[in-house]
Amino acid sequence: MSERFDTFGPPKPSQAEIEFAAGAPGTEVDETGELAPEEAARLLEQSQRHAQRELELRPPLLGLAAAVVMLVAYGAVWLSVRHQHPYVGPSGTALAVLYGTLLAWAALVLVTLRRRMSGVGGRVAVRRRVEGLTFAGIWISVYVFQGALLHAGASHGIVYGIWPAAAPLIVVGGAAAAYSAGREQSPALGLVAVALGAGAAFAGPAGVWGVIGVGGFVLLVAYAALRFWQRRA
Amino acid sequence: MGTGIAPGQLDPLIHVPARLRIVGTLAALPEGDTLSFTRLQELIGLTPGNLITHLRKLEDAGYVVTEKTGNGPASRTSVALTAGGRAALDTYTATLRDLLAGF
Repeated sequence: MSERFDTFGPPKPSQAEIEFAAGAPGTEVDETGELAPEEAARLLEQSQRHAQRELELRPPLLGLAAAVVMLVAYGAVWLSVRHQHPYVGPSGTALAVLYGTLLAWAALVLVTLRRRMSGVGGRVAVRRRVEGLTFAGIWISVYVFQGALLHAGASHGIVYGIWPAAAPLIVVGGAAAAYSAGREQSPALGLVAVALGAGAAFAGPAGVWGVIGVGGFVLLVAYAALRFWQRRA
Repeated sequence: MGTGIAPGQLDPLIHVPARLRIVGTLAALPEGDTLSFTRLQELIGLTPGNLITHLRKLEDAGYVVTEKTGNGPASRTSVALTAGGRAALDTYTATLRDLLAGF
């Protein structure tokens, strides 16, 4: 990681950027060399592919990291609740693992986005930031609603089991599917997340954690593999 | 602005390795997005002096637009491909395909 990305905040302009802004002349360049069409095609494709990879906001490796986070976070909770009758909810240790991995995941996403968006500005970049905040708001609302369920006297199985395990997938996955469809992109990943969340809820307050942990892991690994394959194609 | 190019001829303004990499990189951004000079330099790996020279040529032709904000050490420059630049790259790519296909 270069020095420019070590700290938060906008990237520092290089000396050359300052000189360019000040109207400094560039260096003499030689333009006499011949460039064969084959070489030009190769150069153009390489530049575009390299830029797309460097500027991509959801690199496949991030998908793989999400798969591991899902397996560890949901798996830890499932291990702590799988023999509970009646269901009382995850242990403190399991919750620490759950929220610890989710926080680590959120930090990884923030650092990745910050690095990828570094130096990118304009109308679309602003829209992406608004989209990010919107999804964060939707995610938070899932947990606010969990508080409302507890306040209304819903059972522990719902408040500490089915809702926190399945609702994020159904609500955020649904929003992601609608967003993708609106941008003429495939809503498949969001729809599969919705189906996984809804279907897993039938496994009950303990089983839902295990089903989503494994199902989410498989789904995200498959998605990351597809993205790797698309990159190479 | 990119006029006077005979059919089947590659735009000489783009058909230079460094400028090909510049427009190729900028074309990877969605329309409406800009890239800072520093990030562009990092992505394509040109020396600062060379990048300045090529950007000025592209800017003079109307293929890229640069926007400067701030003064002195705080100054920043963002670079973007114009609609004309995108069109020129599309034409260049089509001509390149025709040449490679043997037309």
